[in-house]
Amino acid sequence: MTQATHAANRAAADGELRVEKISKRFGGLKVFDDINLTLAPGDILGVIGPNGAGKTTLINIICGKLAPTHGRIFLGGEEVTAKPFHSLSRMGVVRSFQQTNTFRTATVRENLARAVRFSGGSADVWRRLDELLARFGLAERQDEQSDKLPYGQQKMLGLLLAYSTSPKVLLLDEPAAGLEGRERTRVDDFVQHARADLGCSVLIVEHDMDLIRRLCPRIIVLDAGRSLAEGPPAEVLSRRDVIDAYVGAIDEEDA
Amino acid sequence: MERTAPRVGKPGPGEIASVVVLALAFAVPFISESPLVYSITNQILIAITAAFSVYIMLRMDLLTFAVPSFMAIGGYTVALAALKGGVTDTLLLAALAFSVPALVALPLGALVLRLRGVYFVLVTFVLTEIVQLLLFETPGLTGGSNGLVGMPATTLFGLSLADNRAVLFVAAGLALAAALITAGVTSYFRQHFAAIEENEVLAQSLGLVVWRYKVLGFVVAAGLAGLAGFSLVNMLLTAHPTSFSPISSVNYIGYTIIGGRSSMLGPIVGSTLLVWATNIFAIRGEYSQGLFGVLIIVVVLLARGGLLGAVRSLLLWVQTVRARASGTAPTSSPTVAPKSSPTTRVAP
Amino acid sequence: MEGFVAAGLIGVSLGAQYALLALGFTLIFGILGVVNFAHGGFYVLGGYVAYAAVHHLGAPYPVAVIAAALVTAATGYAFELFLVERRIDDHLATLMLTLGLYLVMSTGVLVVFGPESPQFAFPITGTLRGWGLYVPIANLIVLLVCLLAIGAVYALMYRTDFGRALRALADDRQVATAQGLRPRLLFPLAFALATGLAGLTGALVTPILSLAPHLGDPVLATSFLIVILGGLGSIGGATTAAFIVGMVEAYSSVYLGGSKGALVLFVLVLVILVVRPSGLFGREVRGA
Repeated sequence: MTQATHAANRAAADGELRVEKISKRFGGLKVFDDINLTLAPGDILGVIGPNGAGKTTLINIICGKLAPTHGRIFLGGEEVTAKPFHSLSRMGVVRSFQQTNTFRTATVRENLARAVRFSGGSADVWRRLDELLARFGLAERQDEQSDKLPYGQQKMLGLLLAYSTSPKVLLLDEPAAGLEGRERTRVDDFVQHARADLGCSVLIVEHDMDLIRRLCPRIIVLDAGRSLAEGPPAEVLSRRDVIDAYVGAIDEEDA
Repeated sequence: MERTAPRVGKPGPGEIASVVVLALAFAVPFISESPLVYSITNQILIAITAAFSVYIMLRMDLLTFAVPSFMAIGGYTVALAALKGGVTDTLLLAALAFSVPALVALPLGALVLRLRGVYFVLVTFVLTEIVQLLLFETPGLTGGSNGLVGMPATTLFGLSLADNRAVLFVAAGLALAAALITAGVTSYFRQHFAAIEENEVLAQSLGLVVWRYKVLGFVVAAGLAGLAGFSLVNMLLTAHPTSFSPISSVNYIGYTIIGGRSSMLGPIVGSTLLVWATNIFAIRGEYSQGLFGVLIIVVVLLARGGLLGAVRSLLLWVQTVRARASGTAPTSSPTVAPKSSPTTRVAP
Repeated sequence: MEGFVAAGLIGVSLGAQYALLALGFTLIFGILGVVNFAHGGFYVLGGYVAYAAVHHLGAPYPVAVIAAALVTAATGYAFELFLVERRIDDHLATLMLTLGLYLVMSTGVLVVFGPESPQFAFPITGTLRGWGLYVPIANLIVLLVCLLAIGAVYALMYRTDFGRALRALADDRQVATAQGLRPRLLFPLAFALATGLAGLTGALVTPILSLAPHLGDPVLATSFLIVILGGLGSIGGATTAAFIVGMVEAYSSVYLGGSKGALVLFVLVLVILVVRPSGLFGREVRGA
């Protein structure tokens, strides 16, 4: 192998997220069993499934907010299973939240400043952030209190907060939930920018099938406590068992 | 209220005002000779010092009941140092009064502050009971139910600080030191504390090692309480368990909450008013707690920013009314209407 | 040997009393997310209501006990409905509200009844003798009533729809609300149940031990200890920990004397916090 390939391999290994045989129980309730997935830098993986299938729990476990009952998680080859929430964040595994989640009484700019500071980021993140702020129409509203922003922009701010930490792995929990039609393409825009700027991988939990089809070359279906299917969306979404599991849920997406 | 980008580490108007107010306390011995005034002022200064301890934890949305226990540790350390160790230098005693409780708080905080906030409250409450028990059960060290009596007067650069005026100076000095420390810590870590208070989960998700800041706050709070303990023991020249009863934690909490938890001036205002009121109206200790209870309920339900917040809202309202009356368009100040405003939580 | 068994009986008796208190406290925390600082106050209030019913109204003791439980339950209901409910999502605010209530209650009791312990004695005196043991009948009765009450609480929580609804709310309020449960209706009831238990315990125990306005503090501290040990929000944990604490307290007061027992307990709890922060049965508490 050449030098270049070695370097590429090392770079790939550095940001690779591997989730091995993860299972989660809450007391007597089993959420899921034997979930496996791998994310190489630059990958985009969609995670879909009916409500209650454990998609948010999966994110909670990968980002360190919850401990898995069984199984292991590796980042760049190093095991990170027992590490706390803030450690995983610092190591580059960062998530967004399903509900709008910002520092409500702080301004947009203060919010981002905190994100940069808490993640130990340097000032040049701001260059890229200013670009994104302009792109998403937040530049004029930088000094507004974040909970005065319209819903859609609060959600974008949430995404930008995660971005500000310069993550290696971005876990997006229903980024388009509650957004109107044309706002949804902003999520596409954001994901593409994140990949291009940061070289990160992205895991998207979503109900919006169009968005999933547009963005994700690969998806996983969670249902009844297990990974039901994995593969390209066109293929997976036409499978009988996936459609059966998902009946009713697909109608939700046109909110 | 300005909405500019966060000014890192610089003290805000509330902090500066607090330090100034306490510096003014040094003037009291020159204005009055009345023992009553001295006594009330001394009590107020001790209360303020202890209330700062509660205040610092409240900046992170944590309520500590441990103030009397750290006051006891500080106070007894000073008494022992003076009686058994012959140490009387005020500065040295102050250093001891701060550092010994702080050192105790460090492992305890590291243990408890990684858990949910509610555990912290429970543990600090139980801690104060434990310390009270220990004070009674170790007579060899603490004098048990007799306490440690006959403390010598403190000295400063060789000068004995025995008379009432000098004791008041010491109390003012300790309160000022506490204010400077509080101002320093809350200014420097303003963004961190605010983030933790407002949205701890988000802060963690962005990489903030939240528990470290909580422990830092707890250690400093313990030190501040230790200073208050020194001040109390110095006023009484005795270290006695009843000065540090578990239920007295409610007083210090009351001063801070009722005065206003969003600014350093809050504990000052709360302590001054409540200590003065309970003295002037000769309300005995047990009954004053009922009053505190009512006030706390009122503050929680109606006036989140305490007295200070209410005054501020009132002034804002007056300002708006005046502006409208004089025909000028109200300034598009981003501060929202008072009462239900979340701005009462933002530090000035 | 008799001393050992006697201490054990005291331990069980204490454990049952503590269990009633801790159950109430942990229910309020588990279901509403509220730390009820006034819990000790309801215990004291129960004692005083029973005392007043017996000595000022001439009611028979059992009626007085029931009256005490009802009064404390009603007070708790009103308090939750009109005050706590308005800040239910803010943990610190609800804690401060209950703290305020505790202060008002303690002072109220002090103003009405004075600082001295009233003469409030258990109506049945005498001891049972057997196998070299002396067991005061009063303690036996209280133990039985407490055990019955604990059983009733378990039956309520695990065998009735009401109990199931409460536990669903405790597990996941969002999901439970989405499924149609109404916190606004259920929360005051849950609170009332807990405070009623505290009042019941007060009415039963204070004639045997003592009654005074400030007794709320140690009761509160003990409740805190027990729920930390057993795990906040866990019913089984609260019960188990209550009996452990009762036993430790009984044995250490017999064999160690004085307040050393309390110290032993506190050290025990600290150790538990190090080794297993969520307590014996608690849920994950990974916070900061």
